[in-house]
Amino acid sequence: MSCGLRDVMELETLGCPGVLVASGAFAQAAAEQAVLLGQPALRHVLVDHPVQDRTDDELRVMAGEAVEDLLRAVSP
Amino acid sequence: MDVTGLEVLDPTAERDAAERPLAGRDAEPRTIALLDIRKPRGDVFLDELEVLLRARGHEVTREAKPTFTRPAPHDLRRDIAARCDAVIEALAD
Amino acid sequence: MELLALVKHDCPVCDQVLPALDAAGVRILSQSGEAETAEQARRLGLRAVPELDEELALSERFDLEAVPAVLLLDGGAETGRVEGLHVARLAALAGRAGVSLDLQGLPEQRPGCASRTRDPDVAARLAARRARADGRIRSRPIAIGALEDPFEALYERGLTDGLPVVPPTAERVTAMLEHTSRDPQDVVGELAPYDGPATVEKVAVNAVMAGCPDEALPIVLAAVEAVCDERFALHGLLATTHPAGPVIVVSGALAQRIGMNAHGNCLGQGNRANSTIGRAVQLVVRNVGGGRPGREDRAAHGSPAKVGLAFAERLDETAPWEGLAQARGVAEDETGVTVMALEAPRVIVDQIAREPEGLCASLALALESVATPRLRLAFDAMLLVGPEHGRILREAGWSRERVQDELFARTMSPAGELVRGAGGVPEGLDPRWVSDPEMPVGKFAAPDRILLSYAGGDAGLFSMVFGGWAAGEIGSAPVTMSVAPWM
Repeated sequence: MSCGLRDVMELETLGCPGVLVASGAFAQAAAEQAVLLGQPALRHVLVDHPVQDRTDDELRVMAGEAVEDLLRAVSP
Repeated sequence: MDVTGLEVLDPTAERDAAERPLAGRDAEPRTIALLDIRKPRGDVFLDELEVLLRARGHEVTREAKPTFTRPAPHDLRRDIAARCDAVIEALAD
Repeated sequence: MELLALVKHDCPVCDQVLPALDAAGVRILSQSGEAETAEQARRLGLRAVPELDEELALSERFDLEAVPAVLLLDGGAETGRVEGLHVARLAALAGRAGVSLDLQGLPEQRPGCASRTRDPDVAARLAARRARADGRIRSRPIAIGALEDPFEALYERGLTDGLPVVPPTAERVTAMLEHTSRDPQDVVGELAPYDGPATVEKVAVNAVMAGCPDEALPIVLAAVEAVCDERFALHGLLATTHPAGPVIVVSGALAQRIGMNAHGNCLGQGNRANSTIGRAVQLVVRNVGGGRPGREDRAAHGSPAKVGLAFAERLDETAPWEGLAQARGVAEDETGVTVMALEAPRVIVDQIAREPEGLCASLALALESVATPRLRLAFDAMLLVGPEHGRILREAGWSRERVQDELFARTMSPAGELVRGAGGVPEGLDPRWVSDPEMPVGKFAAPDRILLSYAGGDAGLFSMVFGGWAAGEIGSAPVTMSVAPWM
């Protein structure tokens, strides 16, 4: 779990805005993780949990619901 | 979870924020990298994101980590940062 | 009047005294953790588990040396104490509080164990906490995430010179601040380009990062004071494309006391004080002033000397003169620093000269070529005379001024050789100002613009020349400060 936010932190350091998509179960861990990595403002967007047993159509709907937040996270 | 690490004193004149710097967000990202962490079902989610982002006029490149169990390799990160204006990493669950 | 006892769990003398204190209902606080205290109480069969001295606050307030400690308090103020086991004294102390202690069967006297507040790590933590509470330390804390490597974390926040730094914890900074009697909030000076105020505290934070020995702090403070001086012109020095940076010469007994190197390899690696004092000053310039390479610092190449360069003068029986700082006004019994905007040093070889005139002629060749022989009056320089060369000057009895006069005279050349285009070299004097090609033109504006310092190993027929940056009013002048006000 910590790998994803760590990647985003390293990419931000390299000058590339980033955002992690994580399932809702990850909400608190994500906030803590960001502090542990030294940047509480690291961006993440949550999608409904669980993910593994979703149908393809359900996943596409989740993507549609997340895309605006994701773009906002990496834009001015 | 214990979130406290080492605390040090700020050596600067304290004009700037103390946290690690985030990348600048100066313009709408044109090229967006979709980075697959390689957990099952993430690819379906990312395929749809790619469709949606292209429809909005963004260029999209698809990348993948070798495994979700470790951070992305340095080369991959440097490559993404060099070629892309933003990155969306998915899907961690 | 009431009694207060402080104990810890891993102290056999505390074990001996606790039952009597417990039986008499004395208020007892433990310096140990919750689990250890409970275990001790259980082991000794105490009626009550002692409270915990949270953050060792009371132990620190009463400045305990040893436990068990029994204090007699009157409205919170101490009116008596016994540290360790002294049956008679304890009985008397308890008596003043109207308490009777059953100390039968105990040895008359046993020293206790060291209070936990005396444990070095604990003492350091408490000292840092006290410094923050007193307002001696005011820097904003930077929280490094538990998942971050502290060395990478400091680098990634842009706080280093590219090399790893020692994480400046409050404990380390507090310990370093012990080495100046100055108030940590005194402002040493303001640093270009953003007028960042360098307080004694901020200098200490950066000195810790540089890896300075704590005793070096007064020298770093004096050097920062010099860099902030208007005459040093730090703003211009940062903004120039020229490679010069601050070079620090330390003259006086303090240099030796703190372990600086004035002998072999004094400009090289291997000596902690030499390697870190200059670095501390450059970190202050970067972090407090905001002058960073590639941004405010415009040097085209810079030099290894810009990581930091400081050395001590060798002021022993081999020295031809008094110290550079002393020649520039610092009292004979004080240590001084001279900070000059200089490029990295270059060697001057002369293995033949035996007389001072000849040696000076040799040294003059190198001095004249500072930056380029073709530019005149624009640069100052520092000559670091090595001992084998210094001996020639000392044995001839040449004073500092005599040497400077000789070097000044021998760095003249005819204008015709210096004019643009002469010898096919485009650089040089503007021909409009050259009316007489025979007219001698000095390299330096005056003899005292060639600063002389003395250091180095016993063997080696070398001296070193450091070229200056823009001289005089348009540029930077060397600045000398006494270290005494910073002790």
